[in-house]
Amino acid sequence: MNRSRLPQGSTAALVLILGSILASLVGAGLQLLANTQLLVPSLDRLIPMAWFNYGRLAPASQFLLSYGWLGSGLLGVLLILAPRFSGIAFRYGRLLFGGALLWQLAILSGFTQILLEGSSGLIGMPQPRFVSILLILSFLVLGTGLTRGLGRSWKSGPLLPRLYLLLALLAFPLGLGSAEALLRGTVTPGSVQIITQLLWHSFHQHLWLAPLGIALIFQLLPTLTGRAATSLNLGLLAWIATALFGGWLGTVRASDGPIPSWMQSTGVVASILMAFVAIGNGLLVQNLTEGRWEEIRRTVALRFLSVGAWSYAATYILLAFLSLPWVRPVMVFTVAWPALFEVFHFLFLGCVLAGSVYALLPVGREMGWPNSSALTWHFWCTTLGAAAAASGLLLAGSFQGLALSDAGVPTSTLASYLRPFLFVVIFAQFFWLVGQIAFASVLIASLLRLFPTAAPMAVFRNPTVIRPASIGHLHG
Amino acid sequence: MKPTRALAIAFGALLLTWVAQAAVGYLQVGRLEPVLNEETNLTVPPVPSGLAHTGARVFASQGCLECHSLSARGPKDSADLTRGWGQRRSVARDYLFRDPAMLGTARIGPDLSNIGARMPEGDKLMQHLYDPRLLKKNSTCPTHPWLFVKKPAGPKAEPDALQVSPDGWHQLLPSYHAKALVAYLQSLNANYALPEAPLK
Repeated sequence: MNRSRLPQGSTAALVLILGSILASLVGAGLQLLANTQLLVPSLDRLIPMAWFNYGRLAPASQFLLSYGWLGSGLLGVLLILAPRFSGIAFRYGRLLFGGALLWQLAILSGFTQILLEGSSGLIGMPQPRFVSILLILSFLVLGTGLTRGLGRSWKSGPLLPRLYLLLALLAFPLGLGSAEALLRGTVTPGSVQIITQLLWHSFHQHLWLAPLGIALIFQLLPTLTGRAATSLNLGLLAWIATALFGGWLGTVRASDGPIPSWMQSTGVVASILMAFVAIGNGLLVQNLTEGRWEEIRRTVALRFLSVGAWSYAATYILLAFLSLPWVRPVMVFTVAWPALFEVFHFLFLGCVLAGSVYALLPVGREMGWPNSSALTWHFWCTTLGAAAAASGLLLAGSFQGLALSDAGVPTSTLASYLRPFLFVVIFAQFFWLVGQIAFASVLIASLLRLFPTAAPMAVFRNPTVIRPASIGHLHG
Repeated sequence: MKPTRALAIAFGALLLTWVAQAAVGYLQVGRLEPVLNEETNLTVPPVPSGLAHTGARVFASQGCLECHSLSARGPKDSADLTRGWGQRRSVARDYLFRDPAMLGTARIGPDLSNIGARMPEGDKLMQHLYDPRLLKKNSTCPTHPWLFVKKPAGPKAEPDALQVSPDGWHQLLPSYHAKALVAYLQSLNANYALPEAPLK
């Protein structure tokens, strides 16, 4: 490989993607360990240390998966994509590389701090304040790189990915910066602190991570299928609705309690409207993929992106269901919410990220993928594992919610309602981890060129027809 | 759509969301004040002690929120009050002096918004922290032995030593963090009426 030919920002993208994969493996491993402790509580006697406690493992794994795996990975693939869709190359590769390293440093510091010192207890913000500052600084560097050329190339390609990217780039620093300032920078009354935590939770999930995922879907699906989104107006409406309603979705995590009731009601309405938004975007995806089933079946990237796109719609339909006025009071403090995040993180964003890496890394690194059965393992283990874990948690949450609502069920037996489902969840999460290990091994092998390259676009094994899909025009 | 218009719409939508929740939220619940409880002639909610304030951070750092909520809901929405988790629903005023203010998102264990009234005995709370299965055999709550110091048992037990001994030869003394955590849990006592939330 001639390194001088690699575009600026390519190393920064690789640092972010490799960091993301490492974070996914460690985060999923810790999540597995934490859930096993729920099933076998006496396991904590094995290592009687604070860092081995469920209360440390659970937030540490959530932080790693959310900021380390998804945040880092999505920024990494966008760093490969942005100069190509804007047609303007990055100029300050070293600065971007520094930003990528700073992001990894923030993840490592946040993870070790949560494990050793504990979580902050704030929803969506378990990390200490200095880690948030590092994340914002790093994001400003990476985000400046990502926005370069966005305005000047506005009309030269599809509009929707640019709009979603713009939204995500604004939401992260605005949301995290203001939440940090209000929660840990000033003396904010406790009653307002909870509102602020849920506001940041909404920004983080629905206005930062989700738009990054949707931007990749609307950029890569048309490229890989060779079709354009059929209705720009529908897409625009969905984008505006996402920007308007996304920030309200966190308030449905509370029921009664300290959040003003009008905010909770607005959250319910926003959740239901977001389901329609997701269905609208789903219709656009349907038009992009219709009749291309054979290609989707064969091409790894396209299959992951399609599953990710459908899981996006499923996430918001499930969110609307959990927010319904007669469902929310029953399900509010149950593991049905982790089920939602299993769909959101592992099926929607995880699949979009994997599909994007398969589609874009060969472009950014001038490499190809081997014709390996590890690709099949990656797809089936991660999608089936995440779907099974989400189903198990949703069923467990339903029983837990019904038990919580029945005063006749003793409090001491509440956890026993979860146990049968925890078996399924732990097995499913292990299955997901196996798939991710397969992905990590095929990625490392491809980067090190340990296997002969079959095609620039990864395809599943035993092809009847191998189509190295037309990604040539992505080479900017 | 022009990029400047897109930028204005995105920024405007985010700002609107932020202002509507944080700023209006502040105007609605951030300016609440303590009220006088006519029975005790004290203002409620009470300001937590310095030790309890430290305990709130210990509570967060031990990850108790992964399984416990801090918000009792009213009878219309839940069975929380029938379960005895509180004598009234939690309202915004209850969180006035809490820093960090915590809500919790899961109930694998019981709600703790009124644990100070339900379990006021410090030694029971200490035992629960050391090993929850000493009090409830099937508890899924993890142990926290690092919050205690093991010392050889002398002829006379130290006044704050736990009533359990790990091996008969040692006594367990609560660390500063354990004392702070228990002080925080004891401060979670909402057995007083508020204008917007009378006792049931």
